[in-house]
Amino acid sequence: MRSNSSSFLLFISFVVLQMVFTSLIDFGPLLFISIYPLFLLTLPINTSINKLMIWAFFMGLTIDYFSNSILGINSAASIIMVTCQPWIFKLIYRKGDLENQIRPGMKQLGFYRFTAYITICLTIHHIAVTLIEDFGLIGFTYHIPRVLISILVNTIIILIIEFGVFYKRSI
Amino acid sequence: MWKKSPLIRVSTTILLFLFLEGASFFFIVEDSLFQQIKISGTLMYVKGEISSFISDVRYFVGLKEVNYMLLEENLDLKNRVEELSAKLKLNDTITTNGQSSNPKFSYIPAKIISNSTNKLQNFIILNKGKIHGVEKDMGVISPLGVVGIVSSVSNNFSYVISFLNITQSVSAKIAPSQSFGPMTWEGRSTNYATLSEIPYHIKFTTGDTVYTSGFSTMFPPDIPLGTAMESTLIKGAHHKIEVKLFQDYNTLHYVNIVINNNKKELDQIIKENEIQFK
Repeated sequence: MRSNSSSFLLFISFVVLQMVFTSLIDFGPLLFISIYPLFLLTLPINTSINKLMIWAFFMGLTIDYFSNSILGINSAASIIMVTCQPWIFKLIYRKGDLENQIRPGMKQLGFYRFTAYITICLTIHHIAVTLIEDFGLIGFTYHIPRVLISILVNTIIILIIEFGVFYKRSI
Repeated sequence: MWKKSPLIRVSTTILLFLFLEGASFFFIVEDSLFQQIKISGTLMYVKGEISSFISDVRYFVGLKEVNYMLLEENLDLKNRVEELSAKLKLNDTITTNGQSSNPKFSYIPAKIISNSTNKLQNFIILNKGKIHGVEKDMGVISPLGVVGIVSSVSNNFSYVISFLNITQSVSAKIAPSQSFGPMTWEGRSTNYATLSEIPYHIKFTTGDTVYTSGFSTMFPPDIPLGTAMESTLIKGAHHKIEVKLFQDYNTLHYVNIVINNNKKELDQIIKENEIQFK
């Protein structure tokens, strides 16, 4: 089982990584980078939903604090994403795939199902972010291209990180 | 225990979710003016809806009291109208010196305790009786028509023969010509009555209003009763007019009992003359 301290280290490194990516990639208003969901989505499976929500809250808040976004937007969106996570996981989970205490990474789930998992969760997260930013459905059609592009780019970046950093190391 | 009870587990999760989301939104509102305005607008809307709903409920609960107040006020106004019209008439006739300016009619408000509309002979019981000043043979009216005639009185209650009673008739007149005749209920529909004995030469149209004539000692004149509908000519001599009543007797709750202040005098004079001619 991954201990809390290593989770904390991972937390910090994801924050730093997020900062680095947001400062490196700037495509204007059509794209927002968020790769920190990978941290929340790959916490050990036996983590209770309450703990997940607390992790999501602090992660979102930290990201908001260090980036220039409105404080609270990412935390609200990632709490929503994390709340949906168990159901999404049930959709793609195959019995016997995972032992209880293991990180649901690309190696454990396989490429296709991991990609599906990340994409669905990111979709929820991004829609939540746009809705909270806009506070209403009126201008939502205007935001659809932004959401789609962001989902695509973020999924690719997350897959690259997952493959590059965690794929070979995980058990 | 904490882990076993799914209810507690689910509710703590929901509470935590709401708390964290609330905290996030608090930060958002603190940080961004746009969201602040949007949220406060939404909150104002919700607050407005809720308070309007609450005031609606309050209004509804207080309706009984309001009804009673209106009733009292209405009665007061009616009494004053009677008083003033009596005074006016007094001023018109200069020769009547020394006459008191007592109003011709005064009213006692009453609430209907029991009412029936589904029989041929319907009766009403009112919550006012002898001790309130109600006597036998007093008329009972509502703002929209004639309700009936007091048939018997106990100390606290009075028994009223409803207008919806085939034995009952009210002297009524039809508006433009002021021609009068008895109006009776024929026992078919509670919405219709029949005005008969209107002479053949009298002209009227459908939709003319029918009022009380004031020729009986029980009811004051000019209470609107209904509108004239179809008419038939009886024996080529007079019209029989169907009248659509204004008053819905099924929803009647408050009525006024009419006191004719000159009744004793009138009765006296009628009696004397009847004896003379017998």
